[in-house]
Amino acid sequence: MTGKKIWGMTIAIIVLFALGVYAGGQKAPAEGPAEKQILIYNSNWSDAKYRIADETVVEMFQAENPNVKVIHSIIADEDFKAAIRAYLQASPPPDVLTWYAGNRMRFFVSKNLILDISDVFEQEGWKDDMPPGFVALSTLDEKQYFVPTNWYWWAVYYKKSIFQKLGLEPPKTWDEFMEVCATIKGDGISPLTIGTKWRWTTGAWMDYLNMRVNGPEFHISLCDGEESYADTQVKKVFNDVWAPMLEKEYFIPDAPAYTWQEAINLMVTGKAAMYLMGQFLETAWPEEMKDDLDFFQFPIIDPSVPIGEDAPTDGLFVPAGTANPELAKKFLAFSGSVKGQEVWVKQLGRMATHKGVDSSLYTPEQRKGNELINKADFIAQFYDRDTTPPMADKGMDAFMEFWANPDDANEILGRLDEQRKDLFDKN
Amino acid sequence: MVKSRYFRSPARVILFAIIFFFALIWLVPVLASLVTSIRTYDDLLINGFFAVPRKIVFTNFKEAWILGKINIYLVNSFRITMPALVLMLFFSSLTAYALARFEFKGNRLIYLIYVGGMLLPFQVLLLPVFRLNGALGIYNTHIGLIAFHTAFQLGFCTFVLRNYMLTVPSGILEAARIDGCSEFRIYGQIMLPLTLPAMAALGTLEFTWIFNDYLWAIVLLRTSELFPVNAGLAVLQGQWRMDWSVIVAGALLAAIPTILVFIFLQRYFIEGLTLGSNK
Amino acid sequence: MLTTSRRKTIYRLTPYLFVAFPLLIYLIWVIGPMLYTFYLSLTDWDGISDMNFIRLDNYRRLFRDRIFFTAFFNNIKWIVSFITVPIVCGLVLAMILNRSVPGAKVFKAIFFFPMVLSFVVMGLIWSWMYQPDNGIINSVLRLIGLGVLAQGWLSEPDLVIWSIIFVGIWRQVGYVMLLYLAGLQSVNTDLVDASKVDGANGWQSFGHVIFPQLAPITVVVVVISIIDSLRAFDLVYVMTRGGPFNSSQVLASFMYNEAFWNYRMGYGASISVILFMISLLFIFMYLIRIFRTESRA
Repeated sequence: MTGKKIWGMTIAIIVLFALGVYAGGQKAPAEGPAEKQILIYNSNWSDAKYRIADETVVEMFQAENPNVKVIHSIIADEDFKAAIRAYLQASPPPDVLTWYAGNRMRFFVSKNLILDISDVFEQEGWKDDMPPGFVALSTLDEKQYFVPTNWYWWAVYYKKSIFQKLGLEPPKTWDEFMEVCATIKGDGISPLTIGTKWRWTTGAWMDYLNMRVNGPEFHISLCDGEESYADTQVKKVFNDVWAPMLEKEYFIPDAPAYTWQEAINLMVTGKAAMYLMGQFLETAWPEEMKDDLDFFQFPIIDPSVPIGEDAPTDGLFVPAGTANPELAKKFLAFSGSVKGQEVWVKQLGRMATHKGVDSSLYTPEQRKGNELINKADFIAQFYDRDTTPPMADKGMDAFMEFWANPDDANEILGRLDEQRKDLFDKN
Repeated sequence: MVKSRYFRSPARVILFAIIFFFALIWLVPVLASLVTSIRTYDDLLINGFFAVPRKIVFTNFKEAWILGKINIYLVNSFRITMPALVLMLFFSSLTAYALARFEFKGNRLIYLIYVGGMLLPFQVLLLPVFRLNGALGIYNTHIGLIAFHTAFQLGFCTFVLRNYMLTVPSGILEAARIDGCSEFRIYGQIMLPLTLPAMAALGTLEFTWIFNDYLWAIVLLRTSELFPVNAGLAVLQGQWRMDWSVIVAGALLAAIPTILVFIFLQRYFIEGLTLGSNK
Repeated sequence: MLTTSRRKTIYRLTPYLFVAFPLLIYLIWVIGPMLYTFYLSLTDWDGISDMNFIRLDNYRRLFRDRIFFTAFFNNIKWIVSFITVPIVCGLVLAMILNRSVPGAKVFKAIFFFPMVLSFVVMGLIWSWMYQPDNGIINSVLRLIGLGVLAQGWLSEPDLVIWSIIFVGIWRQVGYVMLLYLAGLQSVNTDLVDASKVDGANGWQSFGHVIFPQLAPITVVVVVISIIDSLRAFDLVYVMTRGGPFNSSQVLASFMYNEAFWNYRMGYGASISVILFMISLLFIFMYLIRIFRTESRA
């Protein structure tokens, strides 16, 4: 290669480089026109339909507040969860963040990272307009920190056509449920599908079985690290209720090979009949088979035990270090208002937390879900939101191990409890 | 004709058959991606992941491009990769030249530092670098990412280039020195051209790494508008439902630049061939 | 003209001038943070609360942690697989494609393609291929009557890590092939021809003439393979997150999990330190060899 060619290439590269630097050196587009106020909003609503709903809310807010520009970033949920601590420590942090109620929120509040928004609750009258359960979820030490914007229910979804074919009715008690499972199994179909690759689906079974057998109070106590995983009550759940189901093969084989979503395929193709899942299953279900899907409440095991249901609630909070507290609170007020919440109800079939939302907007299905939760004595947030992240991690690992080795429940629970003691400093 | 010349012996035919067979197997996942990208979500869910498509759609590409903002992310990837690439090759070749051609105090030590850092599991650096960039005021900027990638890849690049430069016979360099050339000229006009094959190969590898970087982007950037392509793709992975076909379509679009780079650099290798033999 | 003594000083200073700036950047963004991580491993930081110095507690906990040992041995499995299979395959492919095989360019592109595709998508596609029920692999096995070999490739704890390593190898071969192709360019073909004239057959000329000339590249390749094995993270993360119940965990994913999912940054840092120490071990072995051969030269 001649010297000239070399220089030619070098110059070409330098030009590219210069272009790159010029273009790359531009900072984040955080500087809008001078008059506009900037609101930085990071959310984890990355699913296609949810994103649209999220963007709709933002658009509506900007329409009402033309002097505000919202810089809206949507981050994949997994990355969001990992990055949130980084967000909270950046200076300045984003002005508004999506998040979950339950332990996840309480943790940040206890570290003084979240802005007290009790004044927004006062101003908007939410203490009256929102069911006490939701206000309670947002409160710590009498102050509010979190705006619940929508929630959804969990239930056992089933394929109507299979039930019809086998002449089955949705079971209400555990015995009825076991009978249904046996019948379906007898027909060569797996009664229950589940994708446990990412583990959390096992948490649902833990939640429901524990709450049905031992009551929600005990369950939450357990999540808070106050009870032992090796307690006889817990062992009863595993050995007497869960293990028999696994041994009778009521679940699909090779569950860990499927993500929760891939497991839907087995139900869609008629190889499985039921799925304990949250309402978002409906958004992942094929359009053309919409009419074949219905749900029933998780069967009652012990009628003397209070009823607990999982109703995970999503919402927003404001980091304590925000540069625009007033603006952020305004956004929160909007998101929690009837107008803001209606977007979620209409576009996604979610449930609103504001009583003022027109109930005629609800589809019959949403009403059914609503009723289900209204009948509950207690609302839980789901295992990995009710307990601390490291505990949830170890817990779900234990459930997975149990799934593969149902006979070793006692040993697995024993080890899990050692970890609980370690993580909650209860040695 | 090349063909007939090549297939001289039965051994050659068998060899070709083996390569062909392996290439086909290699292609299966790639073909699967291509097919998935033209199917609909419902089709995948109902008929299984490897079924014959019931319906063929190209909307996934459009959706990935616009809704998924792949167009923006691709530009970002370039904005980050190009400067980083040029800088790291430049800096590491400077260092490699010094390490390979000079005896000086600290030569071994510096080499050790680069090699040590090269083996560092990069996750180790995530939090400290995040805080560092924040302190330096370059958090959430492309410059911050460029700075980090340049620095981090210096280890590996220096390692490779220094070893390669050692194989260059010292005769030419000595001659130039005696002729009175400045060191920098020797570096620029003699050593660099000779190391071009290694730099080209290195450049390809580095391009794929940095272009497709994911972890650092999500740690050092906050505004999703600035994300490079893989981090941007991840945004398509919803909290609940993964739109498989759109993600795969997006990934295929994202792969195009890297493929093009590879095709271009293949020619470069051939040039390097003739270069190497004109000693 | 420069005086000789001035010339000498410049000559002595030049290497420092060359290395100074790059080194500075490197110290700031790599070495500094690395030292900080060492420090972090001696604390109980969770990313938010105050940092408490707890000395070696993290390490004590680590050596009692079953997951750590599983991850460690998985990395060993990965290393052993990576320094054998991809190198042999990559070399063979490079040797074959170095000649004027019809369609060589296409073949090279095909083998290199896996490197180019986002690992998110690759993890996804391979997970589908591995599915016990519908996946291509099991379907084909059943089709050709080897159904008995069909497994839960990603659900059986003993098998998972190998299934993932296999994908890693699939991806790595093209890489290695590329490196060897580059290396083969600098092989002196005169020597090869000379050896043929001397009557050496293919194997002999390969073993005695070509392969030794490939030694520097081979060293690079082995080192890269070991680095990549120790760094293995993205495939594990995408395909199984280390599951089922940590049976496919590797040190890097274990570290990420603890630091970013469980927010135990101090603990995660200690895992990184261990990972680094292991890497250091290999690099010392390599450096010692190099310094010996170089001092002989």
